[in-house]
Amino acid sequence: MPVIVMASPKGGVGKSTCAVLLASEFARMGADVTVLDCDPNKSLTRWASHGAPSGVTLKGDVGRSEIVPTIRSADGDGKIVIVDLEGVASQLVSRAISQADLVIVPMQPTALDAEIGSEALALVREEEEALGRSIRHAVVLTKTSAAVKSRVQKELEAQLNGAGIDVIEPSLVARAAFSELFAYGGDLTKMMRDPEMVTGGKVDKALINAQAFTEAVYERLK
Amino acid sequence: MNGSNRLAGLKARPKDTTVEEVRRVDEVGEARGFLDRTPRKKPGRKPSPRTYQLHPKVFPRVGEAIAAEAERLGITQGQLIEEMWTIYEANT
Repeated sequence: MPVIVMASPKGGVGKSTCAVLLASEFARMGADVTVLDCDPNKSLTRWASHGAPSGVTLKGDVGRSEIVPTIRSADGDGKIVIVDLEGVASQLVSRAISQADLVIVPMQPTALDAEIGSEALALVREEEEALGRSIRHAVVLTKTSAAVKSRVQKELEAQLNGAGIDVIEPSLVARAAFSELFAYGGDLTKMMRDPEMVTGGKVDKALINAQAFTEAVYERLK
Repeated sequence: MNGSNRLAGLKARPKDTTVEEVRRVDEVGEARGFLDRTPRKKPGRKPSPRTYQLHPKVFPRVGEAIAAEAERLGITQGQLIEEMWTIYEANT
């Protein structure tokens, strides 16, 4: 089963949010999901400490030396491995990319995110060349506006499409529910059912967005 | 999007993970600034938990004998005094 790696040398672009949404949605589909938290900020470990959804197993503190054997041991029949990486340019990132079936590069629609995120895309291409095999990769725009598509976002999408880079549709909209997952743990369906969980946002719309995003990722893994 | 049947269609591509491949990946990464950023352990000796300072003055021959015995045993003078204290406690 596939290994999905979240990669960008820039912090705060939404790598952990993407990882949590994919892990919980694939688990809801019946997959046995292993999430590797390789980020020193331990965002996913914090999320799981509040209660990970059924079907999701978390492994934390995975460093440069352990990343390849850990991915290999977690990979197996009926298992999806999701790797959340640190937001720096490190050998841990390059090694994880080499093990990926799909590299997702989250980017906010800003020039800075695009510039730094493009380093990850370039690294994927160079690894493909060095290893002599293709590594599927795609960009997902994150924290986008629910109401209107900004001029910068339109330009960035046009540039990425022009460069032949796969852009995942839909983008992940800036939703309070996505951020609150790290405070409450679990998944968006649990958040919808539990009146104690106050997000100040529209959880139903967040769930639709997360499901459509997961579906788009699924299509790339077939 | 329900059911594990759909997930059964997902496949992992075969990936070699030989030492040579990892080395090549490291080289490619380093050339692009993706370096080994594993935090280094703090260099130097760890601080001793023995923080209490005694101030005994003894006759030179006793001090020399204690120092020589600690040296012979390969322990510090403080550790030797701790052992002496243990024996003292056991006998009182």
